[in-house]
Amino acid sequence: MSNPVSVNTPGPDIADVLVIGAGASGSVAVSELAKAGIKVVCLEQGQWTPPSEFAGDKPEWELVKQKRWHPNPNVRNHPSDYPIDTTESDVNPLMYNAVGGSTILYAAHWFRFMPSDFQVKTMDGVADDWPFTYEDLLPFYEEMDNAMGVSGLSDDPAYPEGGAFPLPPLPIGKPGIKAAEGMDKLGWHWWPGTNSIASKAIGHRPQCQRYGACLTGCPAGAKASTDITHWPTAIENGAHLITGARVRKVTVDKNGLANGADYVDRDGNERHQKAKVVILAANGVGTPRILLLSKSEQHPNGLSNSSDLVGRRLMMHPYAAVVGTYDDNLESWLGPAGELAHSMQFYETDKSRGFVRGAKWNVMPSGGPLGMRSGYGGRPVDESFGVNFHKNLKKVFGRSFEWGIIAEDLPDEDNRVVLDPKLTDSDGIPAPKLIYKSSENTTKLIDFHVDRAVEAHEASGATSISITKLMRDCGWHLLGTTKMGNDPKDSVVNQWGQSHDVPNLFIIDGSVFPTSSGGNPTSTIMANALRSVRHLVENFKTQVTPSEF
Amino acid sequence: MLSTELREIYTKMADELIPNAEGMPSASEAKVPTEWIDRALEYRPDLQAGFIRALEFGKSKSPRDAIQSLNADDSEAFDCLGVLTSGAYFLNPEVKKLIGYPGQVPSPANDDIDSYSEMLAQVVERGPVFRPTVK
Repeated sequence: MSNPVSVNTPGPDIADVLVIGAGASGSVAVSELAKAGIKVVCLEQGQWTPPSEFAGDKPEWELVKQKRWHPNPNVRNHPSDYPIDTTESDVNPLMYNAVGGSTILYAAHWFRFMPSDFQVKTMDGVADDWPFTYEDLLPFYEEMDNAMGVSGLSDDPAYPEGGAFPLPPLPIGKPGIKAAEGMDKLGWHWWPGTNSIASKAIGHRPQCQRYGACLTGCPAGAKASTDITHWPTAIENGAHLITGARVRKVTVDKNGLANGADYVDRDGNERHQKAKVVILAANGVGTPRILLLSKSEQHPNGLSNSSDLVGRRLMMHPYAAVVGTYDDNLESWLGPAGELAHSMQFYETDKSRGFVRGAKWNVMPSGGPLGMRSGYGGRPVDESFGVNFHKNLKKVFGRSFEWGIIAEDLPDEDNRVVLDPKLTDSDGIPAPKLIYKSSENTTKLIDFHVDRAVEAHEASGATSISITKLMRDCGWHLLGTTKMGNDPKDSVVNQWGQSHDVPNLFIIDGSVFPTSSGGNPTSTIMANALRSVRHLVENFKTQVTPSEF
Repeated sequence: MLSTELREIYTKMADELIPNAEGMPSASEAKVPTEWIDRALEYRPDLQAGFIRALEFGKSKSPRDAIQSLNADDSEAFDCLGVLTSGAYFLNPEVKKLIGYPGQVPSPANDDIDSYSEMLAQVVERGPVFRPTVK
């Protein structure tokens, strides 16, 4: 399927709503607003990414994915990317800046938070409860499952009863079967993977072709990225999208209300878009960056930052990988990648383990022969090359899979996004800097889960097992930096994403999460965005707007 | 485009990294230095400078000594050499065939529920693994 014409059509002089960011949450917002007949303009710093550009169906895939399609913007270094100082972070943030945002490169694990994720304080005595419950969000989850064409199997005993997914599950393949055999021996939970990847043709999306290239963009167009699932209809409904627009700041009127945004286009022109309402949807790094950049006389500590929480409580989900190698040929280059299966056996808190909260596990295939070799970096030459080049290849290629462990990291106000005092992007705008350390609770959690994952591989019959306790390039999930809550003193936005300080400013991305869960957040980001925007639409006639532009 | 001199040096270094063994061809037998490395360099121009640096390093040393000391003294150049040589090797369709890798070809998603439905019934029997919302 081709993308809509990527011409930046002129929008209204004054937008009813300006959305900053065309990724997972921004796409939901724009779609809902346009459908309601509200004049909406979206500023996106990236461009369209036609599926034909992806390399997953080409021989050079494994070579180019390590640069052009790398999820770390500091490695990829596209013109649409901004640099991020990670010198004080245990984890690198990962993202993609384009129409569709990080859904272009995400693995499409369509994980639904569990009921306890919304009541961490009530159930475990730590962190914070969300201002609403699992049941409050459930109808929005189900609506997003349909919008994204999710493939999965219902009645997973890890969840309360719910409706069926729109598509049957994708194949779990030989690695999934091997993993399940071990889990059954141990009496542990597992379930076929739930993915926003089409197991059968749906809408304009064809069936998954199992290239295993989900993390570098789906060449078949089977993976649900919002450039495909949301934007074409939004544009048909009158939404205005301006690509290549890097926002410099959100502007305010004399009363401190948001009244638009200054941005730089790709020709270097300084521009301004006026708006009655502004929605930030620029992810857990980009959104606090823009708020901190938007200092004014009315908001000297940055926009919406009277609580001093903007940028704080950054959570990025430390990720451990336990890879088992087997005698059998598992054809583990086949997709989806994507999760083949998952386990929630150790997701819930058991304080006898010495830590709180838990992690989702996912079975991931191991990819092609070159990617498999990336695990050898830094070792002695003769271990990786020479005769062992061939021996390792025969032993491991196609015969291994990963139990990936997504560790819930609890919010810590010292883990934060700040503006770098020196580093700037290509437009001279201060870049973000991350300060992020993994906690003692997380370390204990990972140690426990890695030990259990080793047992799982052993039960499945693995002949060798390798462990990576903390992958540095794992910061896909950028959460928590503009906390949602009821009290303006300890939160940035209310349960609808509305700023406590600036009532016509909304934040709808993962920044608002009070806690991170122990799983992939895109489903929850989009369900929460839908809930927030529906509320905005329903109350639009009484919405506070600026007196001057 | 590699000079004749650098290509000769590279041929020896590539065969040191990927020799003929275990029923697999060496790098030069798989036409890595004469054909596939040029493709690999086209795909990864960002690695070219480090790759050339690695070959320059090999000018006055035996291939084995060059590779060993390169890994110790200039790991960035070594990584460029290693990634490009391995990547070029796997571009060769004959190599893919020998390792049983069909390459990046479509394989439409099939329904394999029948292969695990009995196992899944046991998971269901074991019961819920979540804590419900506290009212």
